[in-house]
Amino acid sequence: MDMSLLYTIPHAVPPREAFGLAIAIYFYLTGLSAGSFIISTLAYGFGMEKYKPLGKVGVVLATLLLIAAPMFLLLHSGRPLRAWHLFVYLNGTSPISWGSFLLTLYPINCIIYGFFMFRGNARLTKIFGLIGIPLAIMVHGYTGFILSFAKAHALWRTSMMPILFLTSAMVSGVAMMILVTIIKDRFFGEKREVNTEVVFGLGKMLLWLLVFDLFLSFSDLAVHYFGEAESMEAARLLLTGAFAPTFIGVETLLGKVVPLVLVANTRTRNVMVYGFAAVLVMVGIFAMRCNVVLGGEFIPLL
Amino acid sequence: MAKTRYGFLIDLRRCIGCRTCQVACKAENDVPLGVYRTWVKEVEKGVYPKVRRHFVPILCNQCEKPACTRVCPVRATYSLPNGIVYIDPHRCIGCRYCMAACPYSVRFIHPERKVAQKCDWCWPRVRDGFGPPACVASCPTRAMVFGDLTDPESEISRILARVPTAVLKPETGNGPMVFYIGLDDEAARLVEAGGEE
Repeated sequence: MDMSLLYTIPHAVPPREAFGLAIAIYFYLTGLSAGSFIISTLAYGFGMEKYKPLGKVGVVLATLLLIAAPMFLLLHSGRPLRAWHLFVYLNGTSPISWGSFLLTLYPINCIIYGFFMFRGNARLTKIFGLIGIPLAIMVHGYTGFILSFAKAHALWRTSMMPILFLTSAMVSGVAMMILVTIIKDRFFGEKREVNTEVVFGLGKMLLWLLVFDLFLSFSDLAVHYFGEAESMEAARLLLTGAFAPTFIGVETLLGKVVPLVLVANTRTRNVMVYGFAAVLVMVGIFAMRCNVVLGGEFIPLL
Repeated sequence: MAKTRYGFLIDLRRCIGCRTCQVACKAENDVPLGVYRTWVKEVEKGVYPKVRRHFVPILCNQCEKPACTRVCPVRATYSLPNGIVYIDPHRCIGCRYCMAACPYSVRFIHPERKVAQKCDWCWPRVRDGFGPPACVASCPTRAMVFGDLTDPESEISRILARVPTAVLKPETGNGPMVFYIGLDDEAARLVEAGGEE
């Protein structure tokens, strides 16, 4: 061994990041996919005729986003060519092992559901739409379990993770559908006129989802704040530490509180305001994914 | 043949922080640049001039109920019957989930092979009868003891029976198997808090 190396051995090992940005993006995309799938089933699965214009675009987006999302997993994994191991060597206690099947079944179901929708077969569309809902919930819910089972990190090891992730998935999904409706109608619609009924309907949904998301986010943070040593440290990281600007500023204020006020205020009720609120929400939920994934492992363990 | 359960003991009163274990491990296991299977953590307790430096060698705890093996999606990492947590480098897909689950941060991705690696108490070396792990064999102050916990006559069993010991992060419930003599409570918390040095 080169003797000079002996002098450069550092005093401690730098923190070893396990997940990181690629995984945050993966969570964001599966969340958007699950959200837009559920919106798409409002008309075709539950008969809410108002949302019929979102059925087709919803399922196309859900499929495309869920084909794109696992690419980030391959990018993140050290040996992507060994991905077939996931289907051969199973481990029932590993959420990633559950995910390999969910990530296969869900897009297949999306494609079948979309196929029958474009064919105009209402009965089969409804059946595959209803099969897809638990799949959509699982395909995003399991990502919450990935983090809660990684017990080394205080910010992750809570039973809040799956429900927090599902709620933010719905929030970002609805926000994306508001934007999609505006863009679709304004630029590609026959009359170049935005369907305000759909936008305001989705806005109302967004309002209550944001309220619920803020409540969950507050509960999670509050319990961390009064929790054991590592939890308190994690709460401080988000409230006053390195992640405060993105957590308080971007995720909570810009991404939740401001859009909540914009959508709740009936006097400023117009399409552009709703569109702006939707953009803020989508940015805010992306910040949320980054705060959870990067913030969770920011504090060194040893 | 009786069942074997390996254990590891470090007498911190003897550790002088020379990092011979760290270097021996690198040489024995061909650990690439920038990553370590074992390292000596240094923490400072007290305020100048009443200050003491603590050296705490860190290595894989080969936990009894490991968090890492539970979450591995392809069962590439598993506990051997003797308690050592081993990684099958040919099965690992490098997803890093084990790294996220390990409370001791001992796992890393091999920069070239792109699979998870960590200290395995030199299991190939021990199995093939080349003596104790490289760190134990090279420690100049004989601060490290490696042996079979099920054998009441082994050096480690005799010391563990008589001397008070402590482990790092017992609250995780993983059942760590690296025992420290003289692990000061405040020093342990400083070690666990991570941060500089």
